[in-house]
Amino acid sequence: MNTGNIWQPVCLSHSIEAGTSAGARLSGEDLVVWRDNSGVAHVWEDRCPHRGMRLSFGFVRGDHIACLYHGWQYDTGGQCQYIPAHPDLEVPKTIKVPVYLTKERAGMIWTTLAADAEPLSVPIDETGTIPVQSLYVDCSADVAIAVLEGMTLAPFSAGRDAETTISAVTPSLYAVSAGHDRLLIGIQTLTAQRTALHVVISGLPEVYEGGGQAHFLSWALDLRFRIENPSKKMFAAPARTVAEAL
Amino acid sequence: MNEKARLVFTGHLHPDAFVEFARHRARRLDIVLQIASADDEAVNVTVEGPVDLVDAFEMACSLGPYDCLVLDVVRTTA
Repeated sequence: MNTGNIWQPVCLSHSIEAGTSAGARLSGEDLVVWRDNSGVAHVWEDRCPHRGMRLSFGFVRGDHIACLYHGWQYDTGGQCQYIPAHPDLEVPKTIKVPVYLTKERAGMIWTTLAADAEPLSVPIDETGTIPVQSLYVDCSADVAIAVLEGMTLAPFSAGRDAETTISAVTPSLYAVSAGHDRLLIGIQTLTAQRTALHVVISGLPEVYEGGGQAHFLSWALDLRFRIENPSKKMFAAPARTVAEAL
Repeated sequence: MNEKARLVFTGHLHPDAFVEFARHRARRLDIVLQIASADDEAVNVTVEGPVDLVDAFEMACSLGPYDCLVLDVVRTTA
């Protein structure tokens, strides 16, 4: 799968609260994902232009993120606006963090490393999404997808014997459906041999929050086990283990 | 307030590496840089820009690239 130039998720939306930042990786590139206080998510290169400190260790104030090291403040466009050691300095426009296109769809934050990428083709999910889990596995995205495509899904809502259908919505988003239930799996290539899978339920929170999340978390843990143990056939997460994980 | 300064960096230098490093820092700081001379022992430059940014340029170049050792910096008004 081509990696850096296509849209990929970098985390579940609910993982990044307003006013916080976190590190992520996409195709070997270190990224900072942060959400300003108005709720808008941003994905940038994870490096302060001053001394190279990770901005993911920084702190968010309003619509700025500031480097932990010397407090240089960057606006939502990546432009440095304030240097505490030189409060009267008009900061040159050349002091700027590379920023990447960012969208939120399907309960995930998406980005692409290509400035000229096609618009994100993930459709807006009008029914809403409920987060389940992000899984991190030591294999390529292609291997993870191959295992995913062999999975079956026991529905939560009704009809335990419903047939499972799996389809690629985009190269980085898979839909797994059974009965009335539908999971969305975002595929993130961290490196050539490390992949993240972000699992959400497509549906109404009043239907799936709590019990539905626990049900599909068990499925997600099974998926991870099968990816990590390709020679073993069966795995069933004990209900107690799932409950403890919640 | 703008300043035009002459900076002479002396030490154990690889002139190509040091000059590339200095040009990169000058671009980042958006100040004007002119290389007067560069050899294994000294790099002589003129820079022009806001005082704080000239200070920042001097500090950055006093550390230099990893394969250069700057032992002294002399700064005078150009």
